[in-house]
Amino acid sequence: MNDLDAALITFTQEAQELLDEMESSLLVLEDTPDDAEVINCVFRAMHTIKGSSGLFGFNHIVSFTHQAETVLDQVRDGSRQIDAQLISVLLDCRDHTARLLAYSLEYPDQPLEEELQRNGELLSECLTPTQSSAVKGQARTENIELENTSEEKNSADLNGNWLITLLFKKDAFRMGVDPLSFIRYLKTLGEIRALLLFDKAVPEGDEFDPESCYLHYKIAFSSEADKQQIEDVFEFAADDCEIKILAPSAKSVEYLALLEDLPEDEIARLGEMLVKVGVLTVNDVARALHTQGSSQEECRPLGEILVEQNVIQPKIIEQAIKKQQQVKQKVSSESNYIRVDSTKLGHLINLVGELVISGAAMDLMIEKSGLDEAEEVSATMSSLVSNIRDTALELRMVPIGETFSRFRRVVRDVSKELGKNIDLEITGGETELDKTVVEKINDPLTHLIRNSLDHGIESPEQRLAAGKSEQGSIHLNAFHDSGHIVIQIVDDGAGLNKDKILEKAVAKGIVTEEANLSDQEIYNLIFAAGLSTKKQASDLSGRGVGMDVVRRNIEGLRGSVNIDSIEHQGTKITIQLPLTLAIIDGFMVGADGERYIIPLSMVEECVEMNEKEWQLDAVQNYVNLRGSAMPYLKLSEYFNPGKQFGKRSRQSLVVVRVGKERAGFVVDELHGEQQTVIKPLGQIFENIEGLSGATVLGDGNVALILNVKSLINKVTVV
Amino acid sequence: MNDLSINKDQVRSHETAAVEQQGQYLTFLVADEALGIAINDVKEIIEITSITRVPMTPDYIRGVINLRGNVVPVVDLSARLGHQVSELSKRSCIVLVEVSCNDEKQSLGMLVDQVKEILDIPEDHIQPAPTFGTNIRVEFIQAMGRVEDEFIILLEISRVLSVSELAELSLMTAAEPAPVLA
Repeated sequence: MNDLDAALITFTQEAQELLDEMESSLLVLEDTPDDAEVINCVFRAMHTIKGSSGLFGFNHIVSFTHQAETVLDQVRDGSRQIDAQLISVLLDCRDHTARLLAYSLEYPDQPLEEELQRNGELLSECLTPTQSSAVKGQARTENIELENTSEEKNSADLNGNWLITLLFKKDAFRMGVDPLSFIRYLKTLGEIRALLLFDKAVPEGDEFDPESCYLHYKIAFSSEADKQQIEDVFEFAADDCEIKILAPSAKSVEYLALLEDLPEDEIARLGEMLVKVGVLTVNDVARALHTQGSSQEECRPLGEILVEQNVIQPKIIEQAIKKQQQVKQKVSSESNYIRVDSTKLGHLINLVGELVISGAAMDLMIEKSGLDEAEEVSATMSSLVSNIRDTALELRMVPIGETFSRFRRVVRDVSKELGKNIDLEITGGETELDKTVVEKINDPLTHLIRNSLDHGIESPEQRLAAGKSEQGSIHLNAFHDSGHIVIQIVDDGAGLNKDKILEKAVAKGIVTEEANLSDQEIYNLIFAAGLSTKKQASDLSGRGVGMDVVRRNIEGLRGSVNIDSIEHQGTKITIQLPLTLAIIDGFMVGADGERYIIPLSMVEECVEMNEKEWQLDAVQNYVNLRGSAMPYLKLSEYFNPGKQFGKRSRQSLVVVRVGKERAGFVVDELHGEQQTVIKPLGQIFENIEGLSGATVLGDGNVALILNVKSLINKVTVV
Repeated sequence: MNDLSINKDQVRSHETAAVEQQGQYLTFLVADEALGIAINDVKEIIEITSITRVPMTPDYIRGVINLRGNVVPVVDLSARLGHQVSELSKRSCIVLVEVSCNDEKQSLGMLVDQVKEILDIPEDHIQPAPTFGTNIRVEFIQAMGRVEDEFIILLEISRVLSVSELAELSLMTAAEPAPVLA
């Protein structure tokens, strides 16, 4: 792979992220159209993609995003209002950009497909018709502002103004930077008191290149905004323009006071200090540091460079240095991110898994050979190993919020398509789970949500007729519960029709007519293959192939899905997933000479089996544990049907809990905690209920991991 | 590692040396009968280690073993072919093969009573399986190989160890109503 390929991959990833960000920002804008920060975000996405696409020669993207960017720029400086229609068009623009991107990657240097071309032209048309009126409006506001400026010019005191120097680089035009648009945008923050244009750099005659930029500005600017805000105006030009912003001299007194007041523990470096009080921005300091690093002379002080670069008054620097000398230097911790290939992470997790196993083997050896001295070392080792394990697993944890917010678009588009009015509420987005789980849960979630949108929530007319509010709502929620993550999809739609489901299930031969099923069981029938109560298969769902795939996918992640519904009031789908797929804390028990692992997070307690006191109900398999009835399962008998067992002296009851359900497992031995690396059992055993995987123990033997959830179901059903 | 794994390089050099028309077969004993499989199907041969029983499986699924950190199912070939469950002895071995199922490769172990030798059987010594006269299901037999005056049954591994069939059968056992003996 050469450098360009690598850069291309980074570009694609970055572009994808930007497009995702743009999508969610646009959806936010639907609710709060005035949020300047969010508009900036959308603008940034288009701008950055345009810039980077130019680097790779993706001209289709450049020309298309340029149009979108132009419109967004107008929105940004307030000359064009953003409304629902424009947001729709921009969302389509985002999709079109994504398609262009995919196309350009696949067929570089080729003319656009006809369809893409047409689509693009259509969108540009959608973007432009209102443009002419917008431009007019813009021109008018500009005039007004100019008048204002001239009126107040008399009272202007240039000393009280920010002094902004802009030196655009020659390539600025080619990089898509339009100096005028920045100056226009600057005016939204305050007033331009004076503007000087230096044209000395403009070459004469043949040397003049109309595509190059030779413009240098000096602007006296009066504003209440702080330095960072002003610098942000030029954020998008930062690469193509040298920007120097000097604070008004009137303000230096203020800064001096602020410096004096800085709490001592917050003072670390000169640059940081100055940024803190607002006299400099991060970029100023970065530039100065760069100069410092590259200068020939040895180590010129930072302050000197800053003054030379004309971004700060000498007086302030002096004060700051004095302050700095008063306290010790403190290294600040910055939060940085590193992009890591996920296969590398996967490899790391595998290695940690091996480490855990061999650590257990070593413990066993030491115990066997009775090396007391080594025991202490091995104890330290194993605590380190478990720390490494936890940290390694944490690396893969990501919040689920990103996945959730992707559904905003789905809900928006589908409800428009179906003519329904549906609101999506998201809570618990900060809940973290393993990246692989997040990736694999996306499809089932999409399916379930589409189902709720299509079948669950009624049309506005039906809702009004049923006495509900016109707007339906879907609530996505996530939280942690005893070592699991629980995802809930709740809608306030029509709910499930029990009779219809049962009728269909009987007709399909999934259950017999006599079967006496609980409501819950009937609802869960919709996960059976080939069952769809919707008479007409729609574009979205209703073919009855989806729900069993959903369940299979979720069970493939060692999770479970459950559905609950009240007719006419709504449906609640609960998905339970393990936090991670790789390594868990296990609790090892023995039954009939075999060892089994129960996920420790599900174990509530272990008690000695006391058959006399507990009023064992041998027929119903219930035990009276401290006054509450609890179903139990004898593991050795369950796993060895037909085998007779004599009386054994000491058995234990392990109480496990999944969600609200509790049960007891009767086992012969308790072996205690064990770090467990989960290994798949393979397809041969996929039909066996009650087992979810296997693990390799320290002594090299294999132990099976119990699927507590399905075992609990077994006992509660019996 | 004291397993008798077959060095892949050796196998390859044998292959190139062998005349194209003749195949190499690994022969082994199962329930006193000599059987063979194509050498290319064999990944390695390992000593018997401790096998963890998997509950609620038919008796021809012996259990799972730890193969260098991976969990591999072991099939009792004798029981699978309709004989008794084999008794473990000093000479018992696990022949490791790889079968594919739904585009996925799955490693499987076959428990055999004794591994014998690798034979070169020329193609004209290989005959189609008889439709009757053997005590092994016909679809399990790939062909019969003649070695001197004796015939050796060559097994069709993809059938004998068909992952989907094994999974289905274990489902049947699991679905049997387990008597509740509390």
